[in-house]
Amino acid sequence: MRFDVDWLGDHLESASDLDTLAERLTACGCLVELRDRVDDTEVWDVEVTTNRPDVMNHRGLAREAAVATGVALRQIELDLEEGDDPAADLAAVDIVDPELCSRYVARVVRGVKIVESPAWLQRRLERCGIRPINAVVDATNYVLLDLGQPLHAFDLKLLRDRRIIVRRAADGETLVTLDEVERALTPEDLVIADAERAVALAGIMGGDSTEIGRSTTDILIESAHFDALTVRRTSRRLGMHTEASHRFERGSDPEMAGFACDAAAALIARLTGGRVCRGRIDAYPRPWIPTTLSLDVGSLSAFAGFEIVDRDAVRILDGLGFEPRQQGRLVTVTTPPHRVDVERVPDLYEEVMRHVGYGAVPSELPILPTPPGGRNPNWRLVDRARDAAVAVGLTEIMTWSFIDPEDDTLSNTLPLVVGDAAALANPLAATQSNLRRSLVPGMLSAARENLNWGERSLAFFEQGRVFWSEDGQVREGERLGVVISGPSDDDTPTGFSDLKGIVEAILDRLAYPEVEWRRGGGPWLAEAEGALLVRDGGQVAGCAGRLGRGLGERWQLKQPTYVAELDLGAALAQPPLPRFVPLPRFPPVMADMTVEHDVGVTFMELMDVVRRLAGERVEQVELRARYTGDNLAPDAVRTTLRLVYRHPERSLTQEEVNRDQNRLRERMAEQLGVRFA
Amino acid sequence: MSRLDEVRSAFLAELDRAAGDPEAVERVRIAYAGRRSGVLGELTAALRDLPPEEKREYGRALNELKGLISDRLERAKRSAATASEAEAGPIVDVTLPGRRPARGAEHPVHLVRRRIEEIFLRMGYDVEDGPEVEDDWHNFEALNIPPDHPARDDQDTFYLPGGWLLRTHTSPVQARVMERTAPPIRIIVPGRVYRRDSDLRHSPMFHQLEGLLVGEGITFANLKATLEAFLHELFADDVEVRLRPGYFPFTEPSAEVDISCIFCGGDGCGVCSGSGWIEILGSGMVDPRVFEAVGVDPDRYTGFAFGLGIDRVAMLIYGIPDLRQMFDGDQRLTRQFA
Repeated sequence: MRFDVDWLGDHLESASDLDTLAERLTACGCLVELRDRVDDTEVWDVEVTTNRPDVMNHRGLAREAAVATGVALRQIELDLEEGDDPAADLAAVDIVDPELCSRYVARVVRGVKIVESPAWLQRRLERCGIRPINAVVDATNYVLLDLGQPLHAFDLKLLRDRRIIVRRAADGETLVTLDEVERALTPEDLVIADAERAVALAGIMGGDSTEIGRSTTDILIESAHFDALTVRRTSRRLGMHTEASHRFERGSDPEMAGFACDAAAALIARLTGGRVCRGRIDAYPRPWIPTTLSLDVGSLSAFAGFEIVDRDAVRILDGLGFEPRQQGRLVTVTTPPHRVDVERVPDLYEEVMRHVGYGAVPSELPILPTPPGGRNPNWRLVDRARDAAVAVGLTEIMTWSFIDPEDDTLSNTLPLVVGDAAALANPLAATQSNLRRSLVPGMLSAARENLNWGERSLAFFEQGRVFWSEDGQVREGERLGVVISGPSDDDTPTGFSDLKGIVEAILDRLAYPEVEWRRGGGPWLAEAEGALLVRDGGQVAGCAGRLGRGLGERWQLKQPTYVAELDLGAALAQPPLPRFVPLPRFPPVMADMTVEHDVGVTFMELMDVVRRLAGERVEQVELRARYTGDNLAPDAVRTTLRLVYRHPERSLTQEEVNRDQNRLRERMAEQLGVRFA
Repeated sequence: MSRLDEVRSAFLAELDRAAGDPEAVERVRIAYAGRRSGVLGELTAALRDLPPEEKREYGRALNELKGLISDRLERAKRSAATASEAEAGPIVDVTLPGRRPARGAEHPVHLVRRRIEEIFLRMGYDVEDGPEVEDDWHNFEALNIPPDHPARDDQDTFYLPGGWLLRTHTSPVQARVMERTAPPIRIIVPGRVYRRDSDLRHSPMFHQLEGLLVGEGITFANLKATLEAFLHELFADDVEVRLRPGYFPFTEPSAEVDISCIFCGGDGCGVCSGSGWIEILGSGMVDPRVFEAVGVDPDRYTGFAFGLGIDRVAMLIYGIPDLRQMFDGDQRLTRQFA
């Protein structure tokens, strides 16, 4: 909020150096954010927290300044001359619902001339960001900024029967507010009405029908206290945020209503030549009741962690208007009406501590038992996945948890997607209105963007949560996604085996349960190069492969793009400790074998047979080469395997190994019907 | 006998001269161990002409000599080959770039998160986790933010059907941990949070880190020292830490925490808007109402809580200007942190 420093000075007995004042205000909780030199004064932007409506005016900030700098707060003098005609004869106030309006003060000023305000007043308003309108309206705004009491002026002659009735709106009732918008009201809303109709939205904005105009001569000034929650609900529902509603919904000072009304009447009379009628019309059905609290300065010192002097506590509370009475270390206070935020003893702790200053608090580390800190299992899991992906050379990206519902619908056919879409009730944009059920669509958009930015090769991963609805609940799951595309560093094109190698290396480090790679994953993955990762028991734990053509076109990806997504929930909570295997003492003997077989025999099937038939001397079987080509039948494949033989007790001879290899070939030919090159 | 010794000395001398040159070594080999005209052949033939009583001793010495010659020749051949290889072949331009193995990189937000976790783990804090989809109780009510509370304005919320919402801060995890754990409690909670807000300084999705310590006799001085220790570890020992009063519904009293600007040292610059201070943390003593809501005895325990934006710290440390840029999925951004 903006403050005129010159105006602030009106409330203080003596002037402080401005640098010191700004520093002290900041230290006690009124952060002076910006200082602007305007005319011959300064305008300060002070951050006032939402719990401190009492500081949202010059008098309130001056009260803080007085305590913070040790300067006295100046008494306000009011020069109010009243005429003979009693206001009560000219208007009447009736509060129908005292729960929502505990006090309504009105004053009548007659014979006003609607003129411009004097320059000094216009300048003060403008420095605080308020546009001057005419002397009557400006005076109400001036008192608002000065004392914090929101006010409203009605054209008295336009109030039917010259009556003010504070009541809930009727269902279907409408009101055209000062901004010329017709508002549809409900019984949740509080209105100010005259004998026939609503004329103002209580605590928010006046009505168009009773607005001060050029022909106005008699006015009624409203100075009231409205229920914070009611003002807040109505202003939020109607999307109306005004200077008045901002203060009422945070809590205004009911005791100030009377004095502020007098101040406004006096100022209007002075500026417009009007005459203030005798007496306030003051309907106060639910008077303010002060609260009494007792503060033990010893307990406060223990809580703060250092000794606070009783005298300081009393001085601070006195300056803030708490009327402290001291008895030993016990200080009893009465909460002042402007401090709606102070309800309990801890609130008083804060009052004293912030004015003693946080800078005075010593630094002392806590002393507690010393168990070692640990990380939650989920954090361990996702960071293990992150480390595994980084270790295989992938770069981490982050995309939004939100997704375009159109892409979300497409996600239905993604292998890991379960449950229904989780749609936001109040999205920021239509294209960000669902929560993602898969990382894949977001990563594909990132792939497209990276290529547009001029990247040739993509090699990135994302780790994050996905969400879905199920049985009225929104569930969350941790995922890891991978995208690779384009030539590698040595210019070889990326292929399925690159992706599979990356995924396998990640799964190893993650301590993932055994998975079987099965063809599948369409239509997201190409039929020729798509795989589902299936766990024992048939549960799909992930998918990996080349993005299907249709999807590639949708994301405008012209180059082959390989994607994988893994459900991290399937990983083991704790990777097992590796067990040491004694190192072999004798050298291995290698023997290659080229098998010619039907294309329908998968590598996994071939390996199963080899493993089963090979003797126990075969330590390892590796793929050396795959060949299909001109001198082979069209559906034939040649696979070269390297078998590693080793005996734990002695060196093997080449002759022994050759004998084993021949026997293996014969048995494979029998069982698989394969040929050997 | 002396003949064998002469041959031995001559051989060793010649081999010494030939060292390093494979062809010269080969010539020595032919001269001594050559099948046709080698000296060794000649010495072997001489065996026949010796009287029987000398044959045995001569034969033993000759075998020894043969062993030595063949062993030394073999060694000389090997070292000559190595030496010549080193000289041959194309010369490498050692200023050419090396071939690096593929190197991955972690997102800056996670780099910062793990750095902060590390600091608090060393101080004995546990790293906790909780759901991103929350209920109103844990996100608001348990934290002393009843319905219609003005503080809800500052945390504009995304709602889901069924009363669920996207958590607006990591504080609900505080409430969850206090509900199930008896003090002393010492935790931090990093995580993703959401607010319905988007402009240059706000992103509808960002990352926070929350801290909570609850025990008997915990003081405001403890809070201050903990935050100072943390910020000195994270930034630098000479960074100044300033606490000033603030407002959060779930702490009383509350403190905003600033550090002296790490770019200008407090003189005032663009990063700190000329103030010399950078707002870095929100903190305070846990409000007794929060303790009551989650079943911790407020007469017995006190505690403190704090929270910071991980993304903001990453932006500050690495000089990233736009928060939302970090969520564009740009691999070039992360690669700078490999």
